[in-house]
Amino acid sequence: MTTDAFTIAGKMALPYQYFAGATSSRCIVALRDEKKILASRCERSDRTVFPPRQVCDLTFEDLSDNWVEVSDRGTITGFTIIRYAEPYQPMAPPYVLALIRLDGSDATLTHIVHSEDIETVAIGQRVNAVFAETPVNNILAIRHFCCVPTDSDSP
Amino acid sequence: MTDTPREQELIVSKQILSIEQTFSTGPIMGHFLRELRDNQRIMALRCRANGRFLLPPREVDAWSLSDDLEWIEVGPEGTLCEFDVVYYASPDPLTGATRNVPYVIGWVILDGVEGLSPLWHLIHTTDIPALRHGLRVRAVFAETRTGAMEDIVHFEVLNTGETGP
Amino acid sequence: MSTSKRKHRNVGIIGCGMSVFSSHREEVNQPEMIHEAVAEALADAGITLADVDCVVHGNMELFEMVHQPDMWHSLGSGVVGKSGLRLTTGGTTGMTLACAADNLVASGLHDVVLAIGFEKLQEGHTTGGISNMADPLWGRKLQAGALTGTTAQAMIDEFGKERACDAAMKLRIIMDEHAALNDKAHRSFGLERRYIKELTENSPPLVGELRMIHMCSQSDGACAVIFAAPHKIKEWNANPAWVVDHETVHREENVVFTGTKSTHRVASERLFARNGITNPREQLDVFEMYDPSAWWGLDWLREFLLLEGDEHLKMVENDEIGIQGTFPVNPSGGVMASNPIGATALVRVAEAALQVRGTAGRHQVPKEVKRALASGFGGTLWSVLMLLARDEPQGASQ
Repeated sequence: MTTDAFTIAGKMALPYQYFAGATSSRCIVALRDEKKILASRCERSDRTVFPPRQVCDLTFEDLSDNWVEVSDRGTITGFTIIRYAEPYQPMAPPYVLALIRLDGSDATLTHIVHSEDIETVAIGQRVNAVFAETPVNNILAIRHFCCVPTDSDSP
Repeated sequence: MTDTPREQELIVSKQILSIEQTFSTGPIMGHFLRELRDNQRIMALRCRANGRFLLPPREVDAWSLSDDLEWIEVGPEGTLCEFDVVYYASPDPLTGATRNVPYVIGWVILDGVEGLSPLWHLIHTTDIPALRHGLRVRAVFAETRTGAMEDIVHFEVLNTGETGP
Repeated sequence: MSTSKRKHRNVGIIGCGMSVFSSHREEVNQPEMIHEAVAEALADAGITLADVDCVVHGNMELFEMVHQPDMWHSLGSGVVGKSGLRLTTGGTTGMTLACAADNLVASGLHDVVLAIGFEKLQEGHTTGGISNMADPLWGRKLQAGALTGTTAQAMIDEFGKERACDAAMKLRIIMDEHAALNDKAHRSFGLERRYIKELTENSPPLVGELRMIHMCSQSDGACAVIFAAPHKIKEWNANPAWVVDHETVHREENVVFTGTKSTHRVASERLFARNGITNPREQLDVFEMYDPSAWWGLDWLREFLLLEGDEHLKMVENDEIGIQGTFPVNPSGGVMASNPIGATALVRVAEAALQVRGTAGRHQVPKEVKRALASGFGGTLWSVLMLLARDEPQGASQ
């Protein structure tokens, strides 16, 4: 069967912006300028969460003024090794992307973990935050996490 | 903890979403675009069930739900049935570039089309105030054609003094 | 085409919430802005998040350039642990959300459904986003956002330039007066009737005789509306606006040519026929119309109310559509005052519900509101109508 079907190259290019809002802005500025990790505390659900939020997603309590500083150290609760390259990645592969529960926080955040030997990274690995040296207005104000020995500072 | 500063720094992330795309013409639009490119012909589909002309051509007529369709060459001349004079410089969504204004978009009933099935395209004129319904226009084809709607550069207004129905 | 619809059970709107509508909301992110509307709707209904069974969420695609917002908006929407749906049908998204919520409760699937529409137009590129709705092979290069001057030209051709332009501007001024009574409205300019001609002449043209002043705002904002089953309404002793019916009509083409029937007219004909409305201006008490421009608002009065000739112009010229008039249209100020697009049609439902429930505050119409009509508009001439009533409808299965 003959067909006239063919393909046409197209492109979409549109600008956009995203406002972090007052609560997230406070957190990012503290990371960037004071190297402090500020989390939100909800008494009703008994949870401390980082990244922080204006409202608790479970109880709808207003958390915008309920700040708690949490540790720059934490534990890997899950991880993957990125082995392929694509333009939007924050660094060249291979690298470890991990779920990290900071000491004092009940939620996990996703971040990059640096290790001398990425094949040895495991759940339960202790890590600490390394802050960016130049100002960054997003979660990469923490440049990455580094592995630290397990027995030195377990919570 | 500490009080929120009165003049708080509010963080904004500014980005451009830019995506390369590939669109499949399918056999029907593909035939239409190939005819524009290779033969400078404008082909419409006519539904045999209800006589409706399809521009853009589709695989099935949306009103009769029939696929009993025949290709009919129409134009390249036609009659302007509606037009918009655009003063607002909207961006070209394919490139983000801002368009020059004013420009005219028109709906043209091509010769050979029966009923209200217009072709939508740019209208080139040096006399915007003289634009009116019923003006005769003709498709101007591009020198280099790629199999896209831009193979018709625009429709030019014919100075015939004649107005259509 | 189905002309009969039957509900398994009745559905009432018991809570409405809206965020502040503004051209800029830098101090809140998307889930936080949504939360403002959700919290207000829950408070208005006198219930808590635990009472909600399902959340229906929607906005325009490509407007903020973010993906799957229903998932990460859970920080503010309250959907965590609940059933959820995401819908998007262009400008009618807000009304489609309302129709879906009504269907979900009417069917018996859920007792309490929260519908959320939002848009943060400041964050994206509105006309660029709209232009991408066009067929990429056919019209994307030509689409100038949602702007067209063809309606203005047709009305000028039909009624003469002076009468048509004055009627369009009169409608614009009435909407501006209404917006001044609505604390949530994005903008009210204080337009004065004595400058009716100057206001038109001095406004920059956008497309043909469609000028900047005729056009809707670009707003950030969210709207939340709570739909509930009759036994919940009784249990909570709530103040409902009952959802009588809704109708959706759309077509392939995105232009209506003289001599063809508009989707608005078809939607009204079907809705009115099903609900015994033979004289809409008598049988309906208020109309919240999705009026993206003064020209469309003026022209669409004729279509939605099934009028002929110049009746719609007279309604405007004689102030019938004013908040004190015999047939108030958009006592909220309408879309020209506030247009957070994915929320806008849901705002029409919310505003109609506020009028029926008698809780619209300073922009409550003075006459008794037994029945209210709300409309949504978008895309390829999508037209969605919802009919609300003070009295519980008869005829549902239970």
